Amino acid sequence: MQQSISQSINEILYGLGYLLPELALTALFIIVIITGLFTGKRADKVTGIVSFTGLLIAGYFTAGQLTTESTVSLFGGMIALSRLAVYLKLILLLCGMLFLLFTQINAELQQHKKGLSDLYAIVIATLLGMNFMAMTANLLMLYLSVEMVSVGSYLMVGYVSSNTRQSEAAIKYALFGAVCSAVMLYGISLLYSFTGTLVLDNEFIANLRVTPQLGASLAVLLVLAGIGFKLSFVPLHFWTPDIYEGASTPVTAFLSTAGKVAAFGVVIRFLLAFSPRHGFLIVDFQQLLSIIAIITMIIGNFAAIWQDNIKRMLAYSSIGHTGFIMMALIAFSDASAKAMIFYLFVYTLMNMAAFMLADYIEQKTGTLKISEYKGFGKKLPLAFCALVIVLLSLIGFPATAGFIAKVLVFSSALELYNFSGSVLLLILMAMGALTTVVSLFYYFKIPLFAYLKKPDAEPVIFSLPKNAAFGLYISAGLALLLVVFGLFPQLVNGWVELTIR
Amino acid sequence: MIPFTHFMLVGAILFCIGLYAVLTKRNAIQILIGIEFMINAAIINFVAAGQYDKDRMGGQLFALFAIVMAAAAVAVALAIILKVYQHYKTIDPDKIDQLRN
Repeated sequence: MQQSISQSINEILYGLGYLLPELALTALFIIVIITGLFTGKRADKVTGIVSFTGLLIAGYFTAGQLTTESTVSLFGGMIALSRLAVYLKLILLLCGMLFLLFTQINAELQQHKKGLSDLYAIVIATLLGMNFMAMTANLLMLYLSVEMVSVGSYLMVGYVSSNTRQSEAAIKYALFGAVCSAVMLYGISLLYSFTGTLVLDNEFIANLRVTPQLGASLAVLLVLAGIGFKLSFVPLHFWTPDIYEGASTPVTAFLSTAGKVAAFGVVIRFLLAFSPRHGFLIVDFQQLLSIIAIITMIIGNFAAIWQDNIKRMLAYSSIGHTGFIMMALIAFSDASAKAMIFYLFVYTLMNMAAFMLADYIEQKTGTLKISEYKGFGKKLPLAFCALVIVLLSLIGFPATAGFIAKVLVFSSALELYNFSGSVLLLILMAMGALTTVVSLFYYFKIPLFAYLKKPDAEPVIFSLPKNAAFGLYISAGLALLLVVFGLFPQLVNGWVELTIR
Repeated sequence: MIPFTHFMLVGAILFCIGLYAVLTKRNAIQILIGIEFMINAAIINFVAAGQYDKDRMGGQLFALFAIVMAAAAVAVALAIILKVYQHYKTIDPDKIDQLRN
C-alpha cells in the first residue's frame, strides 16, 4: 500500500511536467479573475492584455511539447499526450487569441455594462477544457472536459443577454446541451457497466467485445451523440443556426472554430480506442460516420442557400465544413490526420476572418442581411475585398488555403478508396465535390449583392471609433494569410509531422 | 443480494422518464428536472457497477464527479432561465422563438 501511494505520487509528479500549458492556463484563469477585481475601470484593458500574454506563454509551453515523439500516457491513463493533440492545442490557443482581439473591436461587447474581464476568465477556462478534450484517454476525463467546455460555452453565449435574441440563444444552447451531455453520460455509464473500466485501452475493448452487440452499440451511439452535439453533425445540428445567430459575433466565431477543433480532438481520441489496431469494430464506425458525413454535407450546404442573415449562412456553412472534415476522420490514416490539422487551421483563420468582417460590416452599415449589402461594395472596398477572398477560401477556390485543405482531405479519402473500394466512400467523395459546387451559390450571393446589384437609395455608412478599423486590418491580414498559405502550403505543412496514434 | 440487472433496469426506466419529461414538458425548469433524472439514471449505473471495480473505485468516483458537474450545469441553466424570464415573461421553450424570423 505504502509502495503504491509513493508510486502514484511519483507518477503524478512526472505527469505534471507534461501539463505545463494546462497549468499555465489554470494560473492565468485565477490571475485574470483577480486582476479583473482590483483594476476597477481599466479592468477590460488590463485583463485583456494579461489574458493575451498568458495565452502566448501557454502557447510557448505547448510549442515546447512538439518534441514529443510518441504518445505519452499520463496520470494512470487519464490523459494521453500525442503529437496530434499538441497541434490541436496550438490551433485552440490561436482561436483564443483571435477571440481576444475580436472582443476589442466588437461594439456590443465593448459597451457591455459589466465589463469583459469575466468573459476573458470564462474563455480561458473553456480553453483549458478544450485542451483536455484533445488529450482525453479516459471516459471520466472525456465527460469532465466536454462538460467543462459546455458550461463555459453556455456562459459565453449568455454573457451579454441584453436583448431577447441573445437570452433565447443561451437557453436553447443550455437546454439542448444539457440533454446531450446527459445522454452521453448515460452512454458512458453503460460502457462502464459492460466493461468495468473507464480507461479506453485494450482491456476496455476486450470486455466490450464479449458484451451483447446490441447493448454495446447502443452505448457507443449514446456517447457519440454527446460528442456529435459539440461537432454539430446532422441529427444534432439544429441548434447551430439559432445559437450562431443569437450569440454576439466574437462568441459565435470562437464556438464555431475552437469548439469544432476540440470536438474533432475528442472524437479522434474516442475512435482510436476502437481503431483496427484491435482487429475488430463493434459498430462499423466507417460506415456510420460516412453516412453521417454525407447527410451533414448535404443539409449544411443546401440549407445555407436559403439564408439571408450572414451569421446564419456561416452557421450552415460550418455544418457543411464539419461534414467535409469528417471525411478525413473516416479515412483515419496518418495522411488524413495531417490533412485534418491543416484543414482545421485554415478553417480557423477563414471563419474568424469571415465573422470579423461580418461584424465590421454590421457596425458600418447596421445590417447583417446579405440582401441589404446592395451598393456597399464600393463604399467599403477593403472590407468587401477581404470578405470575397475569405469566401473564395471557404469555397475551396484554387490559389487559396481552403483549396489546399480540401485537396489534402480529398486525397486522403481517395487513398482509402483505392485501398478498400467501398461504394459508400465513393458516394462520400462525390458528395464532397458536389456540395462544394453548391456552396458557390450561397457564398457568391455576398459579392453579387455588394457589387452588382444597384442600391435603391444612396448607402449610408456609420463612422466608427478607431479600434473598429483595427479589426478590419486584422481580418484583411488573415485574408492575406489565406492566399499566402494557398500559394505556399509548405509554410504550414512543412511544420506538421505526425502520426495518428 | 440484489442482482446487478435490477439496478440497470431501474436506471433505464429512470432515463426514459427523464427523456419523456424533456420531450413533453412546456416549462424550462421541468425540462431541467427531466435532465436531472437522466443524469441520476447514469449515476445509479455507475454506483451499481462500481461494486465489481473495488480496487479502482472508478464508478463511485465518476458518480461524485457527475453529481458536481450536474450541479454546475444546472446553476448556469437556472441563471440563463432567469434572464430569459426577464425578457420574455415566460419560460415555455415553445414560446421563446424569435430567432430564425
